[in-house]
Amino acid sequence: MAEKLQKFVQTLPNGFRVTAVPLPGYKQTYSVAMANFGSVDTNLGSGKYLPAGIAHFIEHKLFAKPGYDVSEKFAEYGANANAYTSYTKTAYLYQTLENPYDNLKVLLDLIEHPYFTEDNVASERGIINQEIQMYLDMPEWVLEERILEQLYPGDPIAKDIAGSTDSLQSINKDNLLATYKNSYRPQNMDLVVVGNIDFDKILKVVDDSPFDNNQTAPIVKHNEATKIGPGGQSSMNISQSRAAFGIRVDTKLSGYELVKYQYILNMILETLIGESSENYQAMTQKNLIDDSFSYNVVAENDYCFIIVSGSTNDPKAFQDYLRNCLLNNNLEEILTPERFERIRRDAIGAYLFAQNSPDAIANQIAELQFYDVDYLELIQLLNSITLDDVFTASKEIFMDKNFTHYNLIADGK
Amino acid sequence: MRETLAKNVVLNIKQLQQFRTIKIQIDFLRPIDKKESTKRRLLANVMSNSSAKYPSFKAINDREMELYGAEINAYTRSLLNFNDLGFSVEFADPSFLTGNTKQLENNLELLNDIIFHPNLKSADEFDEMAFTTEKRNMLSNLEAVDDNQDLVSMLELAKLVHLNDQNRQLPIFGDKEELKSLTNSELVDYYHQAIDNDFVMINVVGNVDPEKFSKLMRDKFTGLVESKNRRDLQVQFEDFTDLIKMPATKTDQKTVNQSHLALAFVSDKLEKGSSHLAPQAMNLIFGGDDQSQLFLQVRERNSLAYSVSSTYQPTNHLLTVQAGLDGKDMAKAIALIKRQLEFIQNGEFTDSQIEHAKKVLHTRREVASDTIQHYIMRSMWETVYPEAVLAEDKYQNELAKVSRNDIIRVANRLHIIAQYQMMGE
Repeated sequence: MAEKLQKFVQTLPNGFRVTAVPLPGYKQTYSVAMANFGSVDTNLGSGKYLPAGIAHFIEHKLFAKPGYDVSEKFAEYGANANAYTSYTKTAYLYQTLENPYDNLKVLLDLIEHPYFTEDNVASERGIINQEIQMYLDMPEWVLEERILEQLYPGDPIAKDIAGSTDSLQSINKDNLLATYKNSYRPQNMDLVVVGNIDFDKILKVVDDSPFDNNQTAPIVKHNEATKIGPGGQSSMNISQSRAAFGIRVDTKLSGYELVKYQYILNMILETLIGESSENYQAMTQKNLIDDSFSYNVVAENDYCFIIVSGSTNDPKAFQDYLRNCLLNNNLEEILTPERFERIRRDAIGAYLFAQNSPDAIANQIAELQFYDVDYLELIQLLNSITLDDVFTASKEIFMDKNFTHYNLIADGK
Repeated sequence: MRETLAKNVVLNIKQLQQFRTIKIQIDFLRPIDKKESTKRRLLANVMSNSSAKYPSFKAINDREMELYGAEINAYTRSLLNFNDLGFSVEFADPSFLTGNTKQLENNLELLNDIIFHPNLKSADEFDEMAFTTEKRNMLSNLEAVDDNQDLVSMLELAKLVHLNDQNRQLPIFGDKEELKSLTNSELVDYYHQAIDNDFVMINVVGNVDPEKFSKLMRDKFTGLVESKNRRDLQVQFEDFTDLIKMPATKTDQKTVNQSHLALAFVSDKLEKGSSHLAPQAMNLIFGGDDQSQLFLQVRERNSLAYSVSSTYQPTNHLLTVQAGLDGKDMAKAIALIKRQLEFIQNGEFTDSQIEHAKKVLHTRREVASDTIQHYIMRSMWETVYPEAVLAEDKYQNELAKVSRNDIIRVANRLHIIAQYQMMGE
């Protein structure tokens, strides 16, 4: 067997978790600082919410510092930097060939020192508004937002990650700073460095840059799931209709068990409607789907759902077929031990493929640590799943009350 | 290791232990011909989704899963003046798996099945289900292109840039109308033409023993080893003289939220003594990254666009600019983009911008070598157009040589040849 990855982890007294993974043979160093804070974290309690898009706005504006932009500093040290916001996480990253420790200092400056002013907030609105307009022209993006509005009516997850033209107007330097202080706490963040690096030097850089933001636990208000929506459709100026079938899975699982559950749900969906399934073949033959058909299982704290979507000539038949095949599924018949083994192997292969890429390793480690899952133990997690686990889960999720849908109808069809 | 398996059949093997996977890629090349682009793309799709041994999409997908999630990929793309019909398989390096020693042989056999043992109903036709399903899928994909505004904008610009080259008027991924009329037997006929006659490159990267692999190829891929009439490749470059005299322009109105702008410039040949990397350095200062003039002036300072960038293609000396913006700001954005070009033409940029551009060029080259695809593409260029590949010492010399005057000269020798605007309404 070839050499496996090694990982060094240390949680500092302030709760900031630092991880390093040496990657022999690679020229680059890739680092990510990830906050366990995303677009859904807008609930202040008592019916009060932060403006939609505030997490994403912080992501854009943290790069601004007094008299300079952090991107310039990264550039000075030869790094290429970026950032992204998802429903539940915000991440800041750099990729570099040289000066990994100087660039790490810049990354720490980026996440530790906010500088929001009226002027820099105002100028960012125009840029983010263009970003929102760009996404509004992407049917897949619009469809995801609409099906989430059916799965979680009125919930922050149904809002565009970047917010809306209106919500941007409610974002100002004060609520940006207050939200930053509440969410960018050391114990709510992970730092992962992958590449040709020395862990002790990394710890020294982190020690020298005290992360002294509020060290109490962040105020987290859980979003209360409302009743699932009845489904819907609307028209859009597109050449092909798109359909999304949604399944909400209300589970109390968290941490390691939630990640394991996500693997189980993926195995169920792969067996029933994956590219190797009879249903995929049948839907193709009935001309209900094309090769854009896919499913996505999301398992996060407070949110666990499956979205099955694709282009279709007949959105109604698409929805009817999926509803029937999932309600009346014969999983226990078709998921034989042989097929189960095939799915397991496929997952092992995917794990190895991801290890070719420093960014995939770093981002997965950072994300999984928030669920108390060790990335290097993922194969053991996978091997611990039994056929019975899969059959039990399948009985809990395929019920009419968990289903909803949304169709984007191409104009003129 | 590089060897010739037969006339115009080249095998490149790069033995590396850096990666967790091994990739084998086989490319079939011939000059781009608009009458063939649609056929080649449909052929890639039909061949990769079933074979004689695995006669359905399900069967082939099951086999990929058995082989620890092997990934079969088939595509067409343009490479210089060639249409590249490629097939690849990437799979987990067996040294990271317990008890599996046949990964290489099994995956090579799967690739062989796909290319040389297609799913035929008869000598003249593919399996009906395979043909109709993939034709329908491709039609659907071509229709979906209209929903991707970035892509539409770039395709429209490409049509303007290639105004005088009919073969490039059609996108490399084909055309709806041609696809509709394409028959099953025409496709099988074309399969033989392409697979039997095209120039072939085989590239392998990963933890493989070159001699063992070469022997496996010779034993298994008799269809390549025994071929005799494969065509030569002749690199040709387009002439943009007419467009320099009269640039092509087009404006469309469309019901979209965001408007799009795409510009194309061509640069004259470099002056003697100039660094070969001067155009890339000039592009970086102009719009090549988040420290560029376009990003800082158009996006950050004036909030005119979320996306605005430029790209330089060294093989055809084309520099293109893409921007997504509010339609009402179009004229202002165009003026500001032109102003950034003047900024470089006038030599107003700082020495630190030059140093930054050099650093980015060096970093991008080195970081790219952390991917399998880098080694495959490098081998391909070395085979097809070696002039495009600079050896490490030569690259470093050229990089060190890039001067302020080189960059100014490149900027002053750029000519706009095409402009496309999609105005949202």
